[in-house]
Amino acid sequence: MKTDLSPRMKIGLYGLMCVLLIPFVFPTWWMVTSSVKPISDIFAFPPDLWPRRFDFTTYQKVFELQPFARQYWNSAYIAALVTIGTMIISSMAGYAFARIKFPFANTIFMIVLLGLLIPSEVTIVPLFQMFLKWGMINTHWPLILVPIFGAPSVFATFVMRQFFIALPGELEEAARVDGLGRFKIFWIIALPLAKPALGAVAIFTFLHSWNLYLEPIVFLSSTNMFTLPQALTQFTDAYGGAMWNIQLAAATMTAIPVLLVFIFAQKQFVEGLAHSGLKG
Amino acid sequence: MAPVTLKSVKKSYGEVATIHGIDVDIADGEFVVLVGPSGCGKSTLLRMIAGLETVTGGEISIGPRVVNDLEPKDRDIAMVFQNYALYPHMSVAQNMGFSLEHRGASKAEIAERVNWAADILGLKPYLDRFPRQLSGGQRQRVAMGRAIVRNPQVFLFDEPLSNLDAKLRVVMRGEIKSLHQRLGVTTVYVTHDQVEAMTMADKIVVMNAGRVEQIGAPLDLYDRPANQFVAGFIGSPAMNFIAGTITAEGFAAAGATLPLPPGTGNTGAQAVYGIRPEHLALDDSGIAARVSLVEPMGSETQVTMAIGEHTIIGVFRERVQARPGETIHVRPDLAQLHLFDAATGARLN
Repeated sequence: MKTDLSPRMKIGLYGLMCVLLIPFVFPTWWMVTSSVKPISDIFAFPPDLWPRRFDFTTYQKVFELQPFARQYWNSAYIAALVTIGTMIISSMAGYAFARIKFPFANTIFMIVLLGLLIPSEVTIVPLFQMFLKWGMINTHWPLILVPIFGAPSVFATFVMRQFFIALPGELEEAARVDGLGRFKIFWIIALPLAKPALGAVAIFTFLHSWNLYLEPIVFLSSTNMFTLPQALTQFTDAYGGAMWNIQLAAATMTAIPVLLVFIFAQKQFVEGLAHSGLKG
Repeated sequence: MAPVTLKSVKKSYGEVATIHGIDVDIADGEFVVLVGPSGCGKSTLLRMIAGLETVTGGEISIGPRVVNDLEPKDRDIAMVFQNYALYPHMSVAQNMGFSLEHRGASKAEIAERVNWAADILGLKPYLDRFPRQLSGGQRQRVAMGRAIVRNPQVFLFDEPLSNLDAKLRVVMRGEIKSLHQRLGVTTVYVTHDQVEAMTMADKIVVMNAGRVEQIGAPLDLYDRPANQFVAGFIGSPAMNFIAGTITAEGFAAAGATLPLPPGTGNTGAQAVYGIRPEHLALDDSGIAARVSLVEPMGSETQVTMAIGEHTIIGVFRERVQARPGETIHVRPDLAQLHLFDAATGARLN
């Protein structure tokens, strides 16, 4: 967009933007700076925007108090598997709902969408009993299987379906004339064109899995198996009080992949949602 | 190359019949144009030949094989779509070689065929580009290139020029025609533009409401349309129609009597008098016509005028100086006169 603002207007506009930015930036700033403050400085009032004393041992203690590297790996590989699994399931399901004519396709899709209306808290007890029967409690399987076949995948299927609906039918017909069958049309023509939507699905699925809290505290019980959101709550002293600086050091490290994903993939995310008709 | 035969081909969507039994014989190497107004079923028929639509009844043969139940890939056809249908994520060369690649051709063979097609269509400088980097005309050429690399038995074109501007359309029209002359592959071409049909076809199939109205060479359809629909569809500006009665004195229309050739017959019949705009001549001893619009084109002048209560159009090589409201006199060329039955639209003369 081309604008012809005067320098004074520009300064005013940027000033206003800086003020509006404060509520968004301050919590992250506070988390990062507090992670290197001694615990007594964290609650100083007014708060210090810049630490008076730096204490980097908090980061070392994160790894001493818990198997944090192991927990980091748990979160990373679970999020990766969930992301890949959801991309596969949602792209195939989305394509089927969008492009393959079968009886009651729209009705089935509506029923699938209704799954989004059920809060995860409602299904957590039956799921616990199911996984208990299957001997999967205190394993990572529930954290992998529930998102892939649950609400996050339904939303991802919706995004993929919206994208595939907009794909010109002539492309598929040309591929049929060129000698491709249904699966190859999906794999060679439709899927590569769905990169923006797949990118968006990958980002929000990864973030959802990375931030998952309720399911880990229900399904996991040993610290070695914990994921990061669950591990963050475990940095407490003998009386159960939070060790804030250590907890915030762990939180800072936990937030790094999320920040990286947003920094490097925000364009893809917006494009994907735009293609999916979710953005005006 | 192969002939294509349609025998009583029908198409229905549930209870709704859209194609009502069509018979067409397309000879080996012939360029046949399916033409008709929107919704007449021409694209559906083409898609049935391609295998993209199922056949409800009848038989479609390509060469000696009945192809009703064959997949598009097994019919040995190539199709050019209205919106080109180029794969956006593949380069021009990849688009053109795609079908060969999936039919197991070697890399050397693909490269050779793609280069051959690119050479014919002037696409060599663009082989590494993506469709989004090409103009409309270039995309159209790539779509044709994709069709010709495989050397299919039949080319199918579905309104391939409708997305181009008028000037480029004329250029591409010539290119498609010369490509056909060079390769000699049987071609079925769908358009709603009767100028495209007239200029490109060896044979035109005029369709209306899922039925064939007439099949013939372009000039046969122009000179002797089988019915009023074909007469009105072929030719631009369209033929003038005046409803009236055939009498011994001439053709009695509302507010005017028009001349008929000797021995017309059918005296007393309710009929439609058809005369093309270019078959009217300025003649002081002709029928009086009140001018309502004069459109000079340079090479000719198009005049809209009223004869009795009927508005007609005349196209004259002369530069007509008349102004709206003035009267001119015109004479129909009786050798080019068409008479149609008022009730059925069938040709009478």
